[in-house]
Amino acid sequence: MSGAPCREERPTGMAHSVLAEIGRLLEGLAETGASGAIDLRSLPLTEADRAHLSELLGPGEVTAELDVGGRSTVRETAFAGVWWICHRGAGDKVASEEIAVCPVPGILVSHDADIAAAARRMRQTLDESIPGQAEAL
Amino acid sequence: MAEHKPLHRKPAQTLGEALSERGISRRSFLKFASYTASIMALPPAAASAMAEGLAAARRQSVIWLSFQECTGCTESITRAKAPSIEDLIFDFISLDYHHTLQNASGHLAELAREQAMEENKGEYLVIVDGSVPLKDDGVYSTIAGMTNLQMLEDTVRDAKAVISVGSCAAFGGIPGANPNPTGAVAIDRIVTDKPVINLPGCPPIPEVMTGTVAYLLSFAGIPELDHLGRPKAFFGEAIHDRCYRRPFYEKGLFAKRFDDEGARQGWCLYEVGCKGPVTYNACATLKWNGGVSFPIQSGHGCLGCSEPGFWDLGGFYRPLSTGKDDVLKYAAGAAVAGAAIGAASAYAVRSKRKKLMGNTSQPVATPSEKEAK
Repeated sequence: MSGAPCREERPTGMAHSVLAEIGRLLEGLAETGASGAIDLRSLPLTEADRAHLSELLGPGEVTAELDVGGRSTVRETAFAGVWWICHRGAGDKVASEEIAVCPVPGILVSHDADIAAAARRMRQTLDESIPGQAEAL
Repeated sequence: MAEHKPLHRKPAQTLGEALSERGISRRSFLKFASYTASIMALPPAAASAMAEGLAAARRQSVIWLSFQECTGCTESITRAKAPSIEDLIFDFISLDYHHTLQNASGHLAELAREQAMEENKGEYLVIVDGSVPLKDDGVYSTIAGMTNLQMLEDTVRDAKAVISVGSCAAFGGIPGANPNPTGAVAIDRIVTDKPVINLPGCPPIPEVMTGTVAYLLSFAGIPELDHLGRPKAFFGEAIHDRCYRRPFYEKGLFAKRFDDEGARQGWCLYEVGCKGPVTYNACATLKWNGGVSFPIQSGHGCLGCSEPGFWDLGGFYRPLSTGKDDVLKYAAGAAVAGAAIGAASAYAVRSKRKKLMGNTSQPVATPSEKEAK
């Protein structure tokens, strides 16, 4: 049974409202460097609204795929500094979805703690593969 | 009796350090925080602060007490389809006592509870599902020779906070339904000197439980609560407010029976008993079974299971407009604003709640208090 009609197919005009908000955030980023974000899941967007917003923003130069407890995609739109981020969880279902307005989304940046842990692992790997090499670093 | 080695070690590492050793990166924290911030309607910018807070936190000791309940709440929180970012919450907590899930049994199980209390004095979290029977000195439900009341009073003594999961713990639920043969009461009728967060539902939505625990860990504080002690992030809006069938209500298009043309067209279920207008919960937005559906989407009206006394509201299939006075009272109560941030709110809500609820809301003279008198 498919359930009662959800009317998910119809655009409501919300895409233009969201675009206006993105525009304000982008102005702010350009003028003051202030980052911002919009949680798309908190808005009553239909699938048609999402598709319309995606079309209005267009494709950009960068797309990154992450494998972090499920798939995530980070896609820059045709407007530099405007990123469409989609995190997926169990069953590849969307767990969160947001528009980030910033130079680089935080999730793409390697965290200091992870870099320090990686350096320790690298030392261990060098020690195991080329004895004495780690001390030379 | 042989001396037992301690079952627990006091957690020394931060969650960031501990999970890093298992190859779980800070990106995972950020992704989990983005997900949690989204379901709690926090601003997206809060995700970074939440991720940092979680990474710096210690693993949270949790003691889960099950009293007069059906284990549906435990079933709900453990219903994950596949390992995923949503399940990271189970790495953030140390479930030190849960008599359905733990390996230990008998006196070793009780030893685990006592040791968790001793080693995490003032820091552990108590989660309770089920109501507590007070009639006839609480004989209707006992565990390890203790009445539920004794176990609750003993366990919460040095707890940081208490979370009542499910409508039985939050409001008395089905055990407390008329004629309430065991004298069942809600947890916050007994625990009055600690913050108590109510997460009602029969059962509660899994994300409501995990999101609340993640909030407590990340921000070391209690989320904003409504007048019934429920986090506003999840219980701030009526099911009706977010229901996709609401446009039909506005147009006056109602299903009159479950097999009529209106039902087939997906019209509003108000006239076949839907309690969505007076029920505050996140079913219409978070949905169930990984976001697949919720009762109204599946063609059945909301039962109102996250509201006090839902079992006694006069019939699941009776329209609210023909319901009992109680329904109107709850509806009016639901419109009463009243919340404050922080632990104080958890205390403050009780006085408002007492005014709204019926017989399970009377101040409780527990057997120990009776003895003292």
